[in-house]
Amino acid sequence: MIRMLHLHRWKILAVATLANLVLLANLAAGDPKGLEEIAWLDIAGEGGAALLAFLWLGLILNSRPSGRVTNYLVAGLTGIFIAYWQDVLDEVIRLPEAVVWDHWVESGAMPLGMVLLTLGIYHWQREQLAINEQLRRRERIFREHRSFDRLTNLTSAPYLRRQLAMELGEAGRAVTLMMLDVNRFDHVRRQLGPRDADRLLQELAELLLLNLRQDDLLCRYAGDRFAVVLPGTGEREATLLGGELIAAVDHFAFKTRQGETHLQRLDVGLATARGDEPDALIERANQDLEARRQQPAPA
Amino acid sequence: MIEASYELDDKFIRAHHQPVTLMDLVCDQGAEVDRLLRHTGLFYHEVAAGRALASPRQYLQLIHNARRLYPEPELSFLHGQRLFPGHYGAVSALLGNAPDLGQALAVFESAQSLISPLLTTRVARAGDYCCVQWLDACGAGDEYRFLVETMMAGLASVTRWLSGERLPWIFQFSYPRPAYPEQYRVHLGSDLHFDAHMDAMLLPAGYLDRPWPRASATARALALRDCENDLARLGFRTSFIQALYDYLRQRVREPVSLEQAASALGASPATLKRRLRRQGTHFQQLLDRARKHEALHLLQLHGYSNDQVARHLSFNDPTNFRRSFKRWTGLTPSACRRLLARTLDRPDPSARSDEGAC
Repeated sequence: MIRMLHLHRWKILAVATLANLVLLANLAAGDPKGLEEIAWLDIAGEGGAALLAFLWLGLILNSRPSGRVTNYLVAGLTGIFIAYWQDVLDEVIRLPEAVVWDHWVESGAMPLGMVLLTLGIYHWQREQLAINEQLRRRERIFREHRSFDRLTNLTSAPYLRRQLAMELGEAGRAVTLMMLDVNRFDHVRRQLGPRDADRLLQELAELLLLNLRQDDLLCRYAGDRFAVVLPGTGEREATLLGGELIAAVDHFAFKTRQGETHLQRLDVGLATARGDEPDALIERANQDLEARRQQPAPA
Repeated sequence: MIEASYELDDKFIRAHHQPVTLMDLVCDQGAEVDRLLRHTGLFYHEVAAGRALASPRQYLQLIHNARRLYPEPELSFLHGQRLFPGHYGAVSALLGNAPDLGQALAVFESAQSLISPLLTTRVARAGDYCCVQWLDACGAGDEYRFLVETMMAGLASVTRWLSGERLPWIFQFSYPRPAYPEQYRVHLGSDLHFDAHMDAMLLPAGYLDRPWPRASATARALALRDCENDLARLGFRTSFIQALYDYLRQRVREPVSLEQAASALGASPATLKRRLRRQGTHFQQLLDRARKHEALHLLQLHGYSNDQVARHLSFNDPTNFRRSFKRWTGLTPSACRRLLARTLDRPDPSARSDEGAC
């Protein structure tokens, strides 16, 4: 759960120190109110807002590496948090009329925080567009973080089915589905051992991505089988692309942890959509793959 | 007599054998071993020292934990693929040196307590098919499907490895199509049949005695001797539920009562009832299961007509048989036979059969 927080030790310390300073300043300048003077509803409202702002701060810090965008977001949320914090303290500590800085904390930190947060979100959006560009070929049209495969970080079979349902819904557009798997992977796994076999799949995923076009989508179907959605592509073009992937994997000299070279072959099957449902298209591509699978060389 | 057998709480599974392959698999994915062993009653230092013996219940708890820590549907299949032949001493050597598929299956059947303690195997050769059926050994509950996936992936993988070729298994499952059919498709094969009332793998019988390339006759003979010693030391080959099931299956033509079964066990009916209840089943359920499986085998593999099956199971009236069959499977015998004929790609046999009678 707590994965990124350790990167932000100093920021967390700064926020905590700031909140403490405000508390100490309030206590130094004013006196606590009596119980009968306290408006509990206001405390619940303002305290809740402060608590939520603090929670957002934690979630943001835990999900982001350090950097400019993170700094903006954190500064903005800190401003908002401090403003609400002063609000809460106002409810329990009475400051003399002569003190005016509390108004500055309350009314100054809030707009300043809002501006910084807006700036942060703007840059965050720019950053996200850049990441989307990097993620192309790994996802198309919609995002669902729960459908990423753990091993390869590609999307998995349920995502493929939903994606195909959307692609096939667009009438008049050719879609070809390609299925790929490693020839005799069961033997490969026994030869390499499970860890190297897993690494082989990870590296194959990267290699396949490098050889695909911008609009193609690579998914991990199951085990050693990958699926490629080729939008706007007919059978001829898909066959060419399949040949390129086979050639790329033929020339891929995978290294085991002992540093030995392991060569492997790819088998490819294709199915071009002809008004079928996603499951039927997947099934046809699977059957094509199994029919074309190269028979093992006689021992 | 019913042979000696084990139950859910008997500690005899060497934890550093099959359970460790699952632990390694899940820990490779980043899980902590302490969380994996929680509530199992096993301790890592004892497992690592090769001293720990686990009961089926503890192994099942380990599987439960593993599924929680690595909740991906591929877990069972990956586990199965790592299981065999394995490094479990004589039984692994026996399996690894099997000269053909028939002998490999015989290891699963006769040394079941050593090689597959949670799921039993029964092999039947009928007509032109060989049928490998998987049965719950001692009340797996929610983990049953996981075990079926594991053992089917394990057997498919080890037979592919030892034979050097992809065997054209046909897979039948008692449960409906799961939400992750792609795992079955890639890890098992293309010939999958869900809602088929039995968890079984079928193969043309010609594959049973095709010689395999890896076997060594000497190593096998030594392994066989050691394996028999291991089994003798253990004192049993199979589980209590399976032993009783086998007894009922052998006597499927005669009406067997709870009292008869109890006396064959040398126990009182109350004891038998209690032992079955402890493992989540009861006598009538086992009896029904034995008769249902016998009926399915006769219909699917021997090509019996509905009347012949009814007579074989000593039903004196076809209507009675039909009612019982419907209770076992939810289908009429004819509908079930059509479904099972499709599994084997056979022409629908009901065209020539006694549709009217059943």
